[in-house]
Amino acid sequence: MLRAVFYLIAGLTIFFSLRVVISRNIFHSAIFLALALLGVACVYLYLDAEFLAIAQILIYVGAVVTLFIFVIMLTASIQDRAIRQANKQVLLSALSALAFLFLFVKIIRNNHWELTSHAAGVLSIEQLGRSLMTVYVLPFELISLILIAVLVGAIVIAKSEKK
Amino acid sequence: MIPLSHFLVLGAILFSVGIFGALTRRSAIGILMSIELILNAANINFIAFNKFLGSPDGLGQIFALLVISIAAASAVTGLVLVIAVYRNTKNIFADKMNLMKW
Repeated sequence: MLRAVFYLIAGLTIFFSLRVVISRNIFHSAIFLALALLGVACVYLYLDAEFLAIAQILIYVGAVVTLFIFVIMLTASIQDRAIRQANKQVLLSALSALAFLFLFVKIIRNNHWELTSHAAGVLSIEQLGRSLMTVYVLPFELISLILIAVLVGAIVIAKSEKK
Repeated sequence: MIPLSHFLVLGAILFSVGIFGALTRRSAIGILMSIELILNAANINFIAFNKFLGSPDGLGQIFALLVISIAAASAVTGLVLVIAVYRNTKNIFADKMNLMKW
């Protein structure tokens, strides 16, 4: 039962991501992006990563997709349907993407991963926070630095130049 | 129990779809959306490897968390650049942006 639901979610995620890529209306793309990211969050739940699933929903669906929608509305004159959304390399791009996919599937099939037993245990949020604050504290601090830089940079670039 | 390879194949499919989108989309916003898809595919791989053959301190999940923050930061930077370009040229199509060519 749980397996069937997983394959349903995976199929829906792939369908939604395809709609993100080929939708003619860019606003629909943003909505389908939100749905695809929700599907990815459900996949995280299947991998026992509850915290990441919640973070995914909060950050992506809550913030990033909203930002996308705002920018689409701000650049509103572009979103009418008459304009071509894809460039002239559709066939070539599809071919290269399929080649990538073929290569990946071949690699995954030919490789026999040695599954370790200790990794099967569920990682609790407490353990996650503990290792984030002890062993991996340097990347954590670097991320906060990057976020501050992005905050300041976004305000500076988006500020209107008329006084 | 769903085997590891199914998660990896899902990640590979999402990655290919994102590559296709990033190559074919004309508008810069569409390209940014496709890049978000690519980063999510990478995240699925990180978390799946962490669950099936990872270290006990959860390095894969922490890396995925960092990727999520970097992705949010890159989306903000890209969208702000799109707004700046739109304000100056009234255009967000990537194949029309040739201001810095020549």
